[in-house]
Amino acid sequence: MEEIIDNFIPVAIFILFGLVIPLAIMFIVKQISPRSKTLAKFTTYESGSVPTGSANMMFNVEYYAYAILFVLFDVELLFLYPWVTVYVNEAVITSTPGFTTGFSILAMVLFMIVVLLGLIYEWKKGVLEWVR
Amino acid sequence: MGIVEIYEIIMDTLVFIFATNPFSPWIRGVLGGLVIGAVFGGALVMVYLERKFLGDMQSRIGPNRVGGRFGVLQLIADAIKLFTKEDIIPAKADKWLFIGAPIVALTSGFLMVAVIPFDLLIIKGNEYAVAVSRMDISILYIEAVSGLAIFATFMAGWGSSSKYAVLAAFRNVAKMIGYEIPMGISILSVAVMAYSLDIVEIVEAQSSIWFIIAQPLGFVIFFIALLADVGRIPFDQTEAEEELVAGWATEYSGMRWGLAFFAEYLHAVVGSFIVTLIFLGGWNGLPFVGNLYIPGIFWVIAKTIIVMMLFIWIRAALPRYRIDQVIDIGWKVLIPLALLNLVWSTIIGLMWA
Repeated sequence: MEEIIDNFIPVAIFILFGLVIPLAIMFIVKQISPRSKTLAKFTTYESGSVPTGSANMMFNVEYYAYAILFVLFDVELLFLYPWVTVYVNEAVITSTPGFTTGFSILAMVLFMIVVLLGLIYEWKKGVLEWVR
Repeated sequence: MGIVEIYEIIMDTLVFIFATNPFSPWIRGVLGGLVIGAVFGGALVMVYLERKFLGDMQSRIGPNRVGGRFGVLQLIADAIKLFTKEDIIPAKADKWLFIGAPIVALTSGFLMVAVIPFDLLIIKGNEYAVAVSRMDISILYIEAVSGLAIFATFMAGWGSSSKYAVLAAFRNVAKMIGYEIPMGISILSVAVMAYSLDIVEIVEAQSSIWFIIAQPLGFVIFFIALLADVGRIPFDQTEAEEELVAGWATEYSGMRWGLAFFAEYLHAVVGSFIVTLIFLGGWNGLPFVGNLYIPGIFWVIAKTIIVMMLFIWIRAALPRYRIDQVIDIGWKVLIPLALLNLVWSTIIGLMWA
């Protein structure tokens, strides 16, 4: 546990870097850059004409379908990450009763078949078409 | 005293600083700032090389005014320009999202740098990875923090309240989530062969055979997914000039744009590092070098530069895809192929075990 925390202390420091460096750069820019308050400068770009309506529009439901699919697939993938480290690991196999390489491969094949069936179903259902 | 001894003395000192100090994680983190600086410098070099090589490939001259015939000082001139430009936040923009986006993008790049190992030293029987932090799950960690970049582009696009930017942000999210999965599966295929999620151990597993040879399909999938992930041609629909002005960065100007732009190049450089480490053998040298001692860090950097050249070459050679084609490639081609590759690499992994 101690070691794991040790590994993430540099990460915390890096987050600090990520916050401080852009802010420091923008502070310098604020000091040396020119300032002129013309109103037209602060309008949104829309090919030269005056912007109409709100830009924060609603989006197609297709995006949502893709997002749901992504969540499903990514969660399924997450199960594989611990699996790759143990499936032939001698220490794990000897210390866990009933756990063999054959068993873990079989479990993973079944799992991947389920994932694959899901993909095929979505494909046939036409969810993976961008323009419907 | 030869070069080998000098290198060993330097490395001994580094090991002393990095490994025997009671506050070593803190010191490593602070010294990691130097690594960030180096990778940042690498991003600058990439920008320059990209402009120069694109010029050559397109029969132009490229940068040639500042700093002599080769325009080596062009980037310094650009930096001066960016620093002295006015910082404009559009009146309609969501201020916090607009300011936060470049910060998130840069932080994501920095966090990826934290676990990149440059060499593995074996001194007095102990292994020391030359990295800011060595984790058991470093490749999973890299995937996780690189995902933060999606939020950055969406914050930028949504926050700037410009129609072009919002469209680009939508496109970007759709593209990124489509390519995250094949990327994840091909990373898994590598981990299946190396029996570990630690990049150091993945590189060590390639000491006899590089994974690009053991699973060429996985390399192709990973490389395509990486191109899409860092948003380079042929997958840069999110900043397609002809369709969306400048994509999610339309409203950004001056240094704020510069930060977002550098974050993108930082991702490209770190992506080249990852390709080098997990497919091109990392610090394992080429066989024909024989007994000549070359530091591992040299190999890592040389291979990374080659991968960066490949990025630039692809940019010069290929046109841009349409957005629906991009999504189709991700979901209908790369995912099935990646699953196939996972089966292949599991079989090889079982044979090697």
